[in-house]
Amino acid sequence: MAVFTSENKRMLLAEAASIVQDGMTIAIGGGLSWREPMALLRELVRQGRRNLHAVGTAHGVDVDLLCGAGVIDIIEESYVGFEQDFGMAPNFRRACESGRVQVLDTCCHTIIQQLRAAEYGVPFLPVRSVQGTDFLRLHPEYKTMTCPFTDLPLVLVPALAPDVAIIHAQYGDAQGNLKILPPLVADLFFIRASKHVIASVEKIVSTDELRSMEPNVPYFWVESVVEAPYGAHPTSCYPFYAYDRAHLTDYYHAAQAGPESFMNEYLAPYVFRPATHGEYLSLIGGAAKLQELESWKDSDDAWRTLFTAPEGAIA
Amino acid sequence: MNAEPITYATLPEVMIYQAALTIQDGELVFHGYGSPVPTLAMLLAKRTHASHMVHIEGATYGINPEPPFLPPTSNDWSLEQGSVMAIGISDLFDIAARGDMGRMFLSGVQVDRHGNLNVTAIGDPDTPRVKLPGSGGGCNLSGDVQHITIWTTGHRALTHKAGKRQFRFVQHIDFISSIGHVSRDGISRQALGLRGGGPDWVVTELGVFDFDPVTHVLRLRALYPDTSVQDVLDNTEFEPVIASEVSIVPLPTPEHVALIRRFDPLRTHQREFKSTDLSRCFDL
Repeated sequence: MAVFTSENKRMLLAEAASIVQDGMTIAIGGGLSWREPMALLRELVRQGRRNLHAVGTAHGVDVDLLCGAGVIDIIEESYVGFEQDFGMAPNFRRACESGRVQVLDTCCHTIIQQLRAAEYGVPFLPVRSVQGTDFLRLHPEYKTMTCPFTDLPLVLVPALAPDVAIIHAQYGDAQGNLKILPPLVADLFFIRASKHVIASVEKIVSTDELRSMEPNVPYFWVESVVEAPYGAHPTSCYPFYAYDRAHLTDYYHAAQAGPESFMNEYLAPYVFRPATHGEYLSLIGGAAKLQELESWKDSDDAWRTLFTAPEGAIA
Repeated sequence: MNAEPITYATLPEVMIYQAALTIQDGELVFHGYGSPVPTLAMLLAKRTHASHMVHIEGATYGINPEPPFLPPTSNDWSLEQGSVMAIGISDLFDIAARGDMGRMFLSGVQVDRHGNLNVTAIGDPDTPRVKLPGSGGGCNLSGDVQHITIWTTGHRALTHKAGKRQFRFVQHIDFISSIGHVSRDGISRQALGLRGGGPDWVVTELGVFDFDPVTHVLRLRALYPDTSVQDVLDNTEFEPVIASEVSIVPLPTPEHVALIRRFDPLRTHQREFKSTDLSRCFDL
């Protein structure tokens, strides 16, 4: 963890994403279909980043997109999938089953303990669990020992300091103070353990305004802040917008149909074609689409309707 | 509101009720994400026989939520509605690690005789034939929680074109993602220094099971009105224990069913079931 004291950390997406270098270990904020830093991840794909090692807890379209674009070599997450929405993640499956990526599945508490060890400045932390499971076989770096105080068998998991935490927050200021609204998932652990933190935010506000929101990430941990409204799309970022089920449906079908279809029907039009984040927002359906995703707050009925979005509805 | 009288329960609703009955009043209970059957079981239990249970929601970690509907993805604000507050990810896992989590719901694509579960990979985990999504927090929680209810909607073995049968309740598990009663090397969870008693109930679309107290092998306790001991034997690759008295599961009341339907207007829980099981109905 370095200390970043610049007064103005505002950057463009491309500048912030270039802090991630080939071969680095990245920790992606958010989880499942919630508040994932999709605009920054699309920029990593556009810049042709390669050989990344992704660590984290439960993820979805974010890790699947990076798998489909050939950006990741090692996956150390606790879950990658689409739950009851679409089930298994097609690009992730192909990457794992073809041997193109190294499968290093982890578990939520294990990874939190590893991040906390880095945060606390100690080389490892113990866990009681994991014994009796095959995660020990998958992770020779975990060690076992008999506790010198209780004689209990324990598993020691080494400190894990990702190179870059990639975070999408609701609010930030130019200096890099952030306000992330819950569920925080593992974001604060990533931020405290990582060597660099790059963040996109829905809205940059004044430091005075941010102070009134009780920020939860101090500026000196954050190296760059990018204003990217709807920067988590197609995942949700309440209170601004719900997730885009219609878009994710089309994503899933393009990915499910195979690598070529994923390239032609998803990566080309939505990642490589738009030159800016603004263009991306036009391509996904512009103001009408964004208004629809914001309608969750109108009523429970309106909110519920967003989860029954028709299939194949990308504008 | 729909005031039509409720005259039947579907198999999924009866199964949700069985899962709810495994919850004790006063327990702190957690379900993983992507788990609408246990979510509904917990919502139901808290409003019926277990009003003092603590419901911690699967991904938002909201405490005692009152969701307007169940979305098909778990990290959604709808699942936090009505909670007084939410805790954080480390709070949740620390509660379990220090022994304060009473019950957790877990599932698997492979389940072995001792309640070990695989949600990681089919085949060799280094080069998987099928890469499954992963265990989330299940690996840690299976060793830290006091009691575990296993549920699965896929007990019935699939038959492939060549006649090969694919079992969910398997003789040999390819990867142990979460630990049941006995490890691959035959070591008991107590000897491994793990907490709690391990899985005590297994609820499937074919029946309700526990584990033999001596051998820790899956034991059939109850069937649905339309399933038989033979159905269980035919669809379980290993030989389960059959309890000396196998009962028929209790059916939910119309009030139970009304609660389930109220909490899940999108019928998200049905996505877990095969169509043949969705059409199984029981008169109340």
